[in-house]
Amino acid sequence: MSIETTTQDQRSNEKPLIDVRNLQTAFFTDKETIRAVDGISVNIDAGETVGIVGESGSGKSVTARSIMGLVEKPGQILKGSSARFHQLETVKAYASEFSDHTVEVSQLRDQHNPQDLLDRIQSDISPETFDRDNRSDITLTDILAAGYGDKLGITSERDCVFITGRSGNRPENITSGFIELTRLEGEMQRKMRGGRITMVFQDPLTSLNPVFTVGNQIKEALDLHRGLTGEEATREAVELLEAVGIPDAGRRVDEYPHQFSGGMRQRAVIAMALACEPELLICDEPTTALDVTIQAQILELLEEIQEERDIGIMFITHDMGVIAEVSDRVNVMYAGEVIEKADVISLFENPKHPYTRGLLQSIPGGQGGDRLQTIEGNVPTPNEPADYCRFAQRCPKAFDACDVVHPKHVEVSEQNDHTAACLLYPEEKSQAGAVSLHREKGKAGDGDRMRGEKQ
Amino acid sequence: MSRWRYLAQRIAMSVPVVFSVITFLFLVLRLGPLDPIAARLGQNAQGANVQRLREEIGLDDPLWEQFADYLVETVTFSGESWVVRNGTDVSDMLLEVAGPTIWLGVWAIVLPLFIGLPLGFYAGLHPNSASDIMANVTGIIWRSMPNFWLAVLALAFLRSTGNGSGPFGFDWYTFGPTTQSAVGTPNLDFATIGDVFGAPMLTGMDWSAFFVDVKLILPAAIILGSSSMAAELRLGRTAVLENVNSNYVETAKAKGLKGRTIVWKHVFRNALIPLVPIVTNEAFILIGGSVIMEQIFNINGLGRMYFRAIQTADVPLAGSIVFLFTVIIIFLNILQDILYTIIDPRVGYDQ
Repeated sequence: MSIETTTQDQRSNEKPLIDVRNLQTAFFTDKETIRAVDGISVNIDAGETVGIVGESGSGKSVTARSIMGLVEKPGQILKGSSARFHQLETVKAYASEFSDHTVEVSQLRDQHNPQDLLDRIQSDISPETFDRDNRSDITLTDILAAGYGDKLGITSERDCVFITGRSGNRPENITSGFIELTRLEGEMQRKMRGGRITMVFQDPLTSLNPVFTVGNQIKEALDLHRGLTGEEATREAVELLEAVGIPDAGRRVDEYPHQFSGGMRQRAVIAMALACEPELLICDEPTTALDVTIQAQILELLEEIQEERDIGIMFITHDMGVIAEVSDRVNVMYAGEVIEKADVISLFENPKHPYTRGLLQSIPGGQGGDRLQTIEGNVPTPNEPADYCRFAQRCPKAFDACDVVHPKHVEVSEQNDHTAACLLYPEEKSQAGAVSLHREKGKAGDGDRMRGEKQ
Repeated sequence: MSRWRYLAQRIAMSVPVVFSVITFLFLVLRLGPLDPIAARLGQNAQGANVQRLREEIGLDDPLWEQFADYLVETVTFSGESWVVRNGTDVSDMLLEVAGPTIWLGVWAIVLPLFIGLPLGFYAGLHPNSASDIMANVTGIIWRSMPNFWLAVLALAFLRSTGNGSGPFGFDWYTFGPTTQSAVGTPNLDFATIGDVFGAPMLTGMDWSAFFVDVKLILPAAIILGSSSMAAELRLGRTAVLENVNSNYVETAKAKGLKGRTIVWKHVFRNALIPLVPIVTNEAFILIGGSVIMEQIFNINGLGRMYFRAIQTADVPLAGSIVFLFTVIIIFLNILQDILYTIIDPRVGYDQ
């Protein structure tokens, strides 16, 4: 599991496998609007494991479901969100299969100036909406991917394949582009799910259908995405089960889920997820329901699979120990926001955000005293726009400004890419200086944060 | 354990059940206040006539001897009716009246199954929509109206529509095929059974007779099946709703399956599991219900004959009918267990 093992495609493209920008998913109920995911940005390279960690209710699972397109009513991914899938082979396949929904951004660049377009957008937008620092950095691609192209009359509602570079007219000549996951629908969505991005769920005991054999459920995916049926599919299913370490797979393939133990079921679910050779595997607390020895085996299995197949893994868990073991980079989530991101070593050796510190202190056996230290209180329900620090009520270091200024991500250490969203940073500035920096960052551009506009 | 061995075991286990049921019936009829002689000759009959009749049907034999005869006659359907149609073979009488009852029973099971279940599944797939609320409210209303009351109302309404005097000129008598009476015993002679290569096969259908028979039985079947229909609707809805929100459906979605495939392949079969006992249990109720329904709708069937046999202490006839009902119920129970093992692989024959 290392960042070096990126594929040729990725290197030439210099884009991550998946690039999530300002993802916002909200649940609209009669009583309130819950911003379960409130503007998070994460990217994952091929062959890399990115951990997402946080307490229950911090929005980890909704993040995964948003990427998979599994958010259901009353939930909705808001306008301004973007999740770009950059894998070139997939982009080529989609561009040739769904040419009606393909947008040639490279050609549109001559006709449209992003700055002019920004002026025409009527919603509240800021550079932050596009995960940019300055207004001048915003590109046409950003505007289109975030879904503002529809109202401007540039894209139509179902467009989801964006081509940003090509060396000829044929789909094979595409050199860069992406599929916008938040805009997928119907057939395009189903091809992506299970075919390119797959997901392993938390509870292996209930995530297999009890009335069909394990083999039947794996073959279902093989038939759907690779067109394998009959003998051939059975052989492939057996191979997959062997690959995830199920002994006597030839017999096991015809057994029902209830004949499998918990760990074996999770292996079977992983086999199912791997059936179509995905590029990205999202693991939503895959080991939470398992005991510790089985957990270790499953983690080892995931590592082997990753080495063998060079897939990107998004690993969601609330267990800091597991995160330390599996991930290359970590995003700490709190109440729908990522509050600290770093590579795994910096995060554990040098946590910056008070919340991350609290999390690390509350690992049993991690500190000296008699009593285990905990973070008092619960994760608040994020039901209003974040114009303050959502952690302030529970934060031991909170001061007055925390209730009125929304902290932005700032560099917190010399090591690259270690950022935290906390008013205490940057450390070298005085408290007042840091607060005004965060305030300025928030006011850049049009000055206001997106107020949850339905897409 | 194999399926056949299980079946054999279940059949062996049902022998004591059958024995106790028909014994109990014998005790009630012979030791209770009912008197077949009075039923036949009148309450005030006395003297030689009574004595002759008692000897003829064997009421003066020792009780255990009567019981032994009764047992054999009952399970072989070889007795002769004492009162209802004295001297007629029970087997002939049963053959004559079984047809209309089966006809009623089939429709009373099929209608709810094909109306109640689909409506319930639809409601479960569209929870809290207008159609769901409609289906639910109708379900509760159907379920809470007693059969016999509904039957009397329906009969009164259908009779009142003669000569086009129903609402909007509706006339049940001429609606569809014309019938002489609103309800009655169906003839059931629409099918011609011929000899095809030595085996009896269906060779002809008289469709107009078929529709007349359907029309005659329809009101009774709908009312008899109404509570089952409502039960299947409500439970079907719950079963679907439970499964639609389950984790394996989410896994199936994450696999990229179409919504239709998920519903028909994954949800449907799981939702059937809790419905198997409902459907078979409703079938038991139909047997009891048919006694009342046949009486109200004037259908010459098993239920009506059973009612008369019990009233008049016609021991051989009542015994054979009860034996038949018991066998049907035991058969349905066994069928239910076997269906379970087919639909749900988690249920097996092992201990």
